[in-house]
Amino acid sequence: MTTPSAPASQSATHGRGRSFVRKDLPGYLFIAPALLLYLTFNIWPLIRGILMTFTDYRFVYPDTRWKFNGLANFAKLLASHKVREAAIVSAKYSLIVVPTVLVIALATSILISRVHRGASFYRWTVYLPTILPVAVSYLMFRQLYAPNFGLINSLLRGLGVADPPSWLGDVATALPALGMAHVWIIFGFPTLLFLIGIYNINAELYEAASLDGASRWQQFTSITLPLLKPTMAMVLILVIPGVFAVTDPMLILTQGGPQGSTQTLGYYLYDIAFIRGDLRLGYASAISLVVSLITAFFVALIFRWSRERD
Amino acid sequence: MSPSNSSSIIGARHPTTFLVWLRRREALSHAVLAVVMFVVLLPILWLISSSLKDAQQFYSHPAELLPRALSLVNYRYMFTAIEQLPVYMTNSFILAFGVTAIQVFCAALAGYAFARMTFRGRDLIFLMIVISMFVPRGGGLMALYELMNFLKLRNSLFGLILLFGSHLPVPIFIMRQAFLSIPKEIEESAMIDGASRWQIFWRIALPLATSAILIVATLAFVGVWSDFLVTFTMIDRDSQLTISVGIRKVLTSGYETATANVPELRGKFASEAADAAMLLFSAFPVVFIYALLQRWFMKGITEGAIKF
Repeated sequence: MTTPSAPASQSATHGRGRSFVRKDLPGYLFIAPALLLYLTFNIWPLIRGILMTFTDYRFVYPDTRWKFNGLANFAKLLASHKVREAAIVSAKYSLIVVPTVLVIALATSILISRVHRGASFYRWTVYLPTILPVAVSYLMFRQLYAPNFGLINSLLRGLGVADPPSWLGDVATALPALGMAHVWIIFGFPTLLFLIGIYNINAELYEAASLDGASRWQQFTSITLPLLKPTMAMVLILVIPGVFAVTDPMLILTQGGPQGSTQTLGYYLYDIAFIRGDLRLGYASAISLVVSLITAFFVALIFRWSRERD
Repeated sequence: MSPSNSSSIIGARHPTTFLVWLRRREALSHAVLAVVMFVVLLPILWLISSSLKDAQQFYSHPAELLPRALSLVNYRYMFTAIEQLPVYMTNSFILAFGVTAIQVFCAALAGYAFARMTFRGRDLIFLMIVISMFVPRGGGLMALYELMNFLKLRNSLFGLILLFGSHLPVPIFIMRQAFLSIPKEIEESAMIDGASRWQIFWRIALPLATSAILIVATLAFVGVWSDFLVTFTMIDRDSQLTISVGIRKVLTSGYETATANVPELRGKFASEAADAAMLLFSAFPVVFIYALLQRWFMKGITEGAIKF
């Protein structure tokens, strides 16, 4: 192992060297393993990934690798119908998932904040879906959505619905169905964040408000919501990138189908990069860069909104 | 307290009234929460129930949440017929333990250095690590694939261990916070007694940071166990696959070939119910750890997020 105490005699002749060995070297040795891994697997791909967006990198043809083609990828993706359609699907998906997560997380956290006994059980349960392996969760939902023996359609038939939808097999329902599974998986963390936010609100504010005759709803809109604004911003910043660039549920369950109805940008670029014949990593990384820029734009907007004073 | 007691002082804003009021609210909240929790848990309960039903029960209408008779046929099928299952499971454990070890080792050392040691560029390097988390990943997975291929680490469990092991900003952050919260005097007195940096770190600081280590370890283990996308992309050799990715292959690959191994079970189980058993089996280790170490886990996810 690293034993950073170097004998002083070794470097005593050089003043600078000595101070480096005695003062700086131990610290560098301590951070070396972390830094080495971090630079290799995070910073290198970060730089190469951006370079790659300007190439016609097709993995199966080694001679195309690192052949720079300027802005050709970006010109192509801006003109592409497929990209536009996928962007619309991604936007729809985000509009389904993000507000639902916000509302459910906020409601659940308010409920949990009101109880004392059992709160830790509720917190545990709420976060359970998030720790499950994603593939397990989505495959579980495939079972729930199964047209014939799935739980949901069994319940619907029990309620007298003669011809329940086939969920993942239906153009109209596939995207919202995946979205609801996604909500189930991720709502726990926002719930915990809101809960911390609520716990941090001074209880005296509510007491004063109720003395002034404010109703529960008025207390919620004039105390809880405004004071949760920073939490709300953090939740959005954490949730939006993953939802807008969503790939997992499509990859695991629908492969973008039926009829392209679940072909999001994330899935489309994954398909181009890793599933179709020539593995066009260059073009796919250009799409992926655009996806990150779009999310970065929204994150910046939210950040500004959270800083605003009203 | 008793209703008569509280009614006598209505309007007086006495603590007793407040308590009664609070309790009534709480009962209502508990009732609503019970419904919410039931809905949240329903998919999992349904999975458990399905896994305990034999073919006849599974296909009976109307579906019942509680199986009338418990059957282990699905589990028998799973353990006898699906040969890849132990391989995937072993790989998952190797990967999860490997990543946990690397993250704890690297983050403890680096976190200590950033908290307690002085060297040129310390704060700058730390800042860079934190900031780089928020830089949009241009090439993302594509660049990682290229890198792993370049390093000849594709299709290798060892490569995946290094790759996930490098997810260090949050662990370093948590460890740094932990070391910062240890009173400096403890270390200073050891220094006066002539202990080296390494001895102070190993004998004094690290034992005092056990809870942070547990937090880092649980987050690492659970996070890497659950990954789908990265593993799916980097590994296409069956012998190196993890359970969280392999599970999909096992479920979707035909039952006809699998039941050939155990002809006596043919027709006795529903394929969906066997799927349910396998899904539960593959999630079991993380659920177990989550239940066992929930305190550290909750601390980790909340503290990690709040302090950033």
